[in-house]
Order: sequence, then C-alpha cells, then structure tokens
Amino acid sequence: MQTFILALYVLIWPLISLAIFAIIGVATVKDIRVARRDKRELV
Amino acid sequence: MNEENFYQFSTLTVLALLVAFYGGTYLLTLLIKKKKENTDAFMVSNHQIGFGLGAASMTATWIWAASFYGAATSGYTYGISGPLHYGLWGALMILFIYPFGRRFRKLAPNAHTLGELIHARHGSSSQLILASSNILGSIISLMVNFTASGALVSVLSPLSFQAGVVIAGAGVLSYTLWSGFRASVLTDFAQLMAMMAVAILIIPAVMFALGGPGTLSDGMSLLTPEQANLFSMDAILNQGAPFFVAVLAYAIGNQTISQRLFAVREDHIKPTFITATIGYGAIVIGLGMIGLMALMTGMEPIDGDMNNLIPQMVSMYLSPVFIGLFFILVIGSLSSTADSDLSAMSAIVMADVYGKNIAKHKPDPTKMLFIGRLTMIVATLIGVILASFSMDILIMLVFVGALWGAIVFPVIASCFWDRVTNTAFTSAVIAGLVMFCVARFELMPLVGVVGGLFELLAAVGGGVVLGLMAFGFCGRRVGVIFGALSAIVLAYFCVGFLRDYTVLLASLMAYGVSTIVCIGVSLMSSSKFDFSQIDQKVINYDPAKTASQS
Repeated sequence: MQTFILALYVLIWPLISLAIFAIIGVATVKDIRVARRDKRELV
Repeated sequence: MNEENFYQFSTLTVLALLVAFYGGTYLLTLLIKKKKENTDAFMVSNHQIGFGLGAASMTATWIWAASFYGAATSGYTYGISGPLHYGLWGALMILFIYPFGRRFRKLAPNAHTLGELIHARHGSSSQLILASSNILGSIISLMVNFTASGALVSVLSPLSFQAGVVIAGAGVLSYTLWSGFRASVLTDFAQLMAMMAVAILIIPAVMFALGGPGTLSDGMSLLTPEQANLFSMDAILNQGAPFFVAVLAYAIGNQTISQRLFAVREDHIKPTFITATIGYGAIVIGLGMIGLMALMTGMEPIDGDMNNLIPQMVSMYLSPVFIGLFFILVIGSLSSTADSDLSAMSAIVMADVYGKNIAKHKPDPTKMLFIGRLTMIVATLIGVILASFSMDILIMLVFVGALWGAIVFPVIASCFWDRVTNTAFTSAVIAGLVMFCVARFELMPLVGVVGGLFELLAAVGGGVVLGLMAFGFCGRRVGVIFGALSAIVLAYFCVGFLRDYTVLLASLMAYGVSTIVCIGVSLMSSSKFDFSQIDQKVINYDPAKTASQS
C-alpha cells in the first residue's frame, strides 16, 4: 500500500502537467483560429 | 570534479544545443515581427491575448531556474512535504493575485503597468516606489537566471561559467529586443510546451531508473520522522510559512505578472490564472520530487551544494538524450523568465518613468519604443555583469523582499478604499521598510517588551495576509473578520516564540506596520477619491487608439 501511495505521490504531478499541456495546447489552437477568423494578430 | 560526477557534453554539442534553442526561438519571433511596432502592443499586446497563450505565458514566466533547484532542495531537506511547501505556495501566488487583478483591470482597463494605476490614484511618489521595487526585483531575477545558465553550462560542458552567462544574455536579448512583450508571450508558449514535455518524461524516467516504486518504499527508512511526516512542522516553519508570507508580496511586486494581467483579454482572466496556478504547481512540485528521490536513495549532493542535486540525479541515472532534454528544460525556464523581466522593465521605464514623469501629457510613441529597447539592452548588461562577477546581492534581495511586503496593503487598499491618500501610501511603505530592517538585522535586541511588541506587530501582519486572501475571494466583511481573528490567534501563538525566526518575524512586521500606518494616516484625512478618474487618466499611447478613445 505504501509503495502504491508513494508511486502515486511522485507520478501524479507529471500526469497533471500532461493534462495542463493538453488544455493549453488546445486553447492555443483555438486562439490561432479566432485570430485568423477575426483577421487580427495572435499577439 | 565535473568530469567525475556529471555527464559532460562536448563544447560543440552544448553550443549546438544553445544555438538550436536560441536560434529556434529567434526564428519564431520573426513570425510576428513588424517593421514598425506600436507601443501598446510592445508593452501589453493591445490587451488581446487569448486564454491558451496567456496561461502558457503566465506559467512559463513564473517558472524560473531557481524553481527546480529550490523545489528539489526543499524535497531533499524536508522530505515528503518539502516539494509541496515550495511549489504549492509558489502556485498560490498566481491564484491570489487573480481577484485583485480583476479589480486593477476594472479600474484601469488600458493600463500597461500597475504603477500607472497607482500614479492615477496617488501621484508620482507612490508610483515610483512601486516602479523602483519592480525594477530592482527584475534585475535580481535577471541576474539569478543568467547565473543559473552559467552554472549549468560550466557543470555539463568544458565551457566557462562566464560563457554560459553571456550566451544566455545575448540569446534572450536577441529575440526580445524588437517586439518586446509580444515576442515574450509567443516564445513563452513554445518554451512552456518544451518544459512540460521534458518534465512529464524526466520525473517518471528518474523514478524507474532508480528501481521503481519499490526503491522509494525501501528508501522511507532513510528519512527522519520529520522528513517522513506530510505535516512536518519543521517544513512548515522553515519553508512553507516564509513562502506563504511572500505569496501576495511577490504577486503585487512583480510587473511580469501584472503585465500579463493587463494583456490577457478581460473575459479570459479567470481561466488563465487558474490554469497557470495548476500548471506551475504540477511542474515545480513534480521536479521537486527528484530531490525527494535523491534523499530516499541516500545520495549526497556534490560539495554539499544543493543546486547539484538535479544535475547529479540526471547525470547518474539517465541517458545522454535525457541529459540534453534536462539542459533544454533549464535553459527554457530561465530564458522565459528573463525575457519577461526584460519586457517588464522596458514597460516600466516606458510608461512609469518616461510616459508619466518625463513626457507628462505628451509622450512620443517612437521615443517610447526607443527607450524601451534601450532599457532592455542596459538591463541585460547589468544582469550579465552582476552574474559574471558572482556579486553578492543578498542585501539587495532582502530590501526588495521587504519593500514588496510593505507595499502589499497600501497598493490593495488604494484600489478598494477611497480614503487612502498619497501620504498614507508613502509613509506606510517607509514605516514598514524601516521596521523590517530593525527586526531583520536585530538593530534592537529581540527580548522583553521589544520582542513581544514586534511579535504582536508580526501577528497583525499575519492577520493582514490571511485577511487579504479571504477578502480577495469572499469580500470585505469576511476578509476583515477573518483577518482580525487570525491576528488574535497568531498573537497568542507568536508572543515568546516568533523571535527565534527572524526572517519570518521581519517579513510579517513589514505587512503589519505598513497596514497600521496606512489605515491610521488615511483616517486622519477626510478626503475621498473618485475611482472613475483612474480610467480617464490611464490611456493607451498608440495615436490611433488614443484618438478612438477620446
């Protein structure tokens, strides 16, 4: 049990990072599409 | 020493990695480069940054090289709870500025710096206190990041420390100089994606290279009872609490955060801040786990230097490809923060110094851009020089920390309470700073009545921090009640105890004294400020926009 909890404690952070990686990636693609649609610059 | 303990890249390999990183980043900025940039875009991207880029930029800016080393050191020193006490509070710095940030944005939707808002509220003296603390903070940040580059390059290759410092300085300046904040935001996105990808791979890679979860379980026997305790008081008092106290100070005192606050589209502020909070926490706490794993395997940092922990672990257990990825991770983190610091300083000098105090009502946008770019060059030179000569900046660091602590309440109160005056703001900051120095450097012996009085003032400071946090999310009444109750409870526990933790005592005193003075002096005046004046005074500098605004 302790082994599982320790592994989870260490590995949960890269998993959360992966989720944020996906959220930011998808959101940025949307930003690019909106900027193109509105004919304005991305930044 | 290096060749025996760390993996060594050849000079050619490390130069190729640096050229690939900075060359690629520079090429990326060519996508947005305009022959004639405008001032508002140069400072805040015309307030139109979307959620994805905003969250990426906020996260990348907040993660600097010291985040990894600090989190790993905390994990190695305090055990299980160590990485949490570094990463969690760092992440909350982003979250806790959010409610106040919305107010700043509402009061001054066209602002470029927090200093502009304070100038409209109080005038030059208060604004320049804020601006100078921002600039000092960014110079320190630049120096620390360039130092990290020098240390990394000298540890992992035959190149010298100075070479690493100069390459980082020249590389960051090259891609930030022309487009300013726009370049910073775009490259932050690429740098963060790279950093996250590397962190996602490296953390499990190190764990499984050590022998997997079973090795960690076996390593628990090497931990002291305090290190094995998730609620270790040692970790809370020495790592968590000082960080917690700094939560609001760093967020208010750092223009890199407020610049992004003013740049993100207003309807995207909330998701941007929440995503950045979680992203920062996950990456930094995750990399802090490498320090914890080092502790659990009984590893000793070379020369006792905690900054060697992560490079040592990576060198010992991972293949050269991962070491290359780690190299990019650190260079990416320090570069994203350094370019944000350059953009922040250029905006402060352009808007706060030139726009509000030199040009007054007739700022010339072309001249502003020139001043902004010149600021970046000068700041880079200062950062490279301070880093190259490994100058001792401890005193500067202490003063900036104190200044940031002392300005928190006056800045926030100025944006919510119409009674705060310029005199109240200035005197509160000065009083907070003076009392911080008295306690921090023990100019008066911390015993007897003096010790008790200082502890009571620190308890007030603790109540202010907690009260402001409650106020931000739950409103004025809850904030005041929670702050007052917290101060009373803290007073009970602090008296006779906190004097042994001088750094914490002094930091809390800066909050407490500045709050008491700010409230006291404000109450002596009967004048009331009309907040709608701020929006009228803080305007865009670009001629086309200014015309449409009027």
